Amino acid sequence: MIHFKNVSKIYPPQTAALTDVNLHIKPSEFVSLVGQSGTGKTTLIKLLIAEERPTKGKIIVGGWDITDIPGRHIPLLRRQIGVVFQDYKLLPKKTVAENVSFALQVAGEPMNKIEKIVNQVLKIVGLEEKAMRFPNQLSGGEQQRVSIARALAHRPKILVADEPTGNLDAINTREIIDLLLKINELGTTILLVSHNREVVNALKKRVVTIENGHIVADQARGKYIL
Amino acid sequence: MFLLSLTRILKFAFQSFFRNIWLSLVTVTIILLTILSLTTLVLVNVITDQAVAALKEKIDISIYFEPQAKEEQVTLIRDQIAKMQYVVAVDYVSAQAALEKFKETHAREELILEALQEVEGNPLGPVLIVKAADLNHYPLILKNIQDFKIQEFAKEIDYDDHQLIIQKIEAASQKIKQIGLILSIIFSLISLLVVFNTIRVGIYVHGDEIGIMKLVGASNWFIRGPFLVESILYALFGCLLFWIILFALLTFINPAISAFFGDINFNLGQYLLQNFFFIFGFEFLVITILNIISTFVAMGRHLRV
Repeated sequence: MIHFKNVSKIYPPQTAALTDVNLHIKPSEFVSLVGQSGTGKTTLIKLLIAEERPTKGKIIVGGWDITDIPGRHIPLLRRQIGVVFQDYKLLPKKTVAENVSFALQVAGEPMNKIEKIVNQVLKIVGLEEKAMRFPNQLSGGEQQRVSIARALAHRPKILVADEPTGNLDAINTREIIDLLLKINELGTTILLVSHNREVVNALKKRVVTIENGHIVADQARGKYIL
Repeated sequence: MFLLSLTRILKFAFQSFFRNIWLSLVTVTIILLTILSLTTLVLVNVITDQAVAALKEKIDISIYFEPQAKEEQVTLIRDQIAKMQYVVAVDYVSAQAALEKFKETHAREELILEALQEVEGNPLGPVLIVKAADLNHYPLILKNIQDFKIQEFAKEIDYDDHQLIIQKIEAASQKIKQIGLILSIIFSLISLLVVFNTIRVGIYVHGDEIGIMKLVGASNWFIRGPFLVESILYALFGCLLFWIILFALLTFINPAISAFFGDINFNLGQYLLQNFFFIFGFEFLVITILNIISTFVAMGRHLRV
């Protein structure tokens, strides 16, 4: 599903964010990517959604070589990978339903299909009652659930969650992780970036540890080892 | 697909315009003030032009004949003058008509009217009023008339007094035009910077949203579209609001402007109505182009996500 082959990313003048990273994630896997701040976790995500280009190596997503993906193809890639961010990244002047439907409208989906999908994903995240609210009328946990609903709208095969619980309390963190597990059970590959030890240890799923831009551990049922 | 995207772009543009109503109002107000400054300058130019043109229109060569001059002699002279180069019209005012006009002009001056009654008969003679197409032609026409040897019939050729005034008007008019041109250039540059920066600030405020749109897979055109339409809406609302305010103001200032022009027939409101589509269209087009360029430039940085 996701294949990083000898990928390096060097920011000018000579700052190596990732060095010779080899990572293979299979379909329907739940992988936690852990490591301290500034070790290259976010860079890896940025490479995956073509926000950055690798300096060296090859990146393949779903059989598609995105190493040198042309700018005009980036929107197509991003419609196939759902991304959830720590700061939710919701459009503040759009309602919950509009935020979710926006992701579908940009892809040119017809309105009747959009309405159906929006209702479905809002039901999955438990926010169908708050569809007409604006993001500032929701709690942090609810905003993150909207973000997940939006990421799910395209029914992506991959869902990348970059520190999705970083701004949340323990209860909301638990809810979000449960939601990600539920999505994973439905067949979506999940790549969870986190430095929350309790969350990663409780999952009992594959854990990839990054340190100073290198993958230092890759355990099938791993723990947060740093 | 294209129509669907276009519909969505239009919907998002209107949504953004009204949901960010304060930002929209500030932008529209700045555009309105820009148009106000530019249009004021244009109107000052128009009023000056009209005033100068009206004054020029009043310039003529009047040939006052002796009261005893015969109509046939005067009309013969009129026909000769009419054939002269650069002459566009020669009006004949009979002695009787001249008297009537004199009485009308001095209707409220009893002393003059009493003096006129004491004089037996009509003391005024016929008058020929010569008009030229251009002010510069009057000296030549005057010379030709003087060469015509009409002194034995004409008691006065009234032109010399006007010459100095004409020269002064011409000089003033040229100066006003030069100052107007310089002011227009300065105002245009200021307007350009103000509008550009207003749009840039507006886009800057939306910077994060643009990044989010990119991350959820929107193409550059799908993101740009609503902002471009919104910038056209700013121009449209700015222009419309300005003209509504201008016409409301005109109901108060138009009488004063008409009074300034006196008996010269110039109505600013009517002038604006007659030229509405041209001026409105021109302003709307210029502001729209400016807004679109500003939007394009300002969005460039945010679209590199």
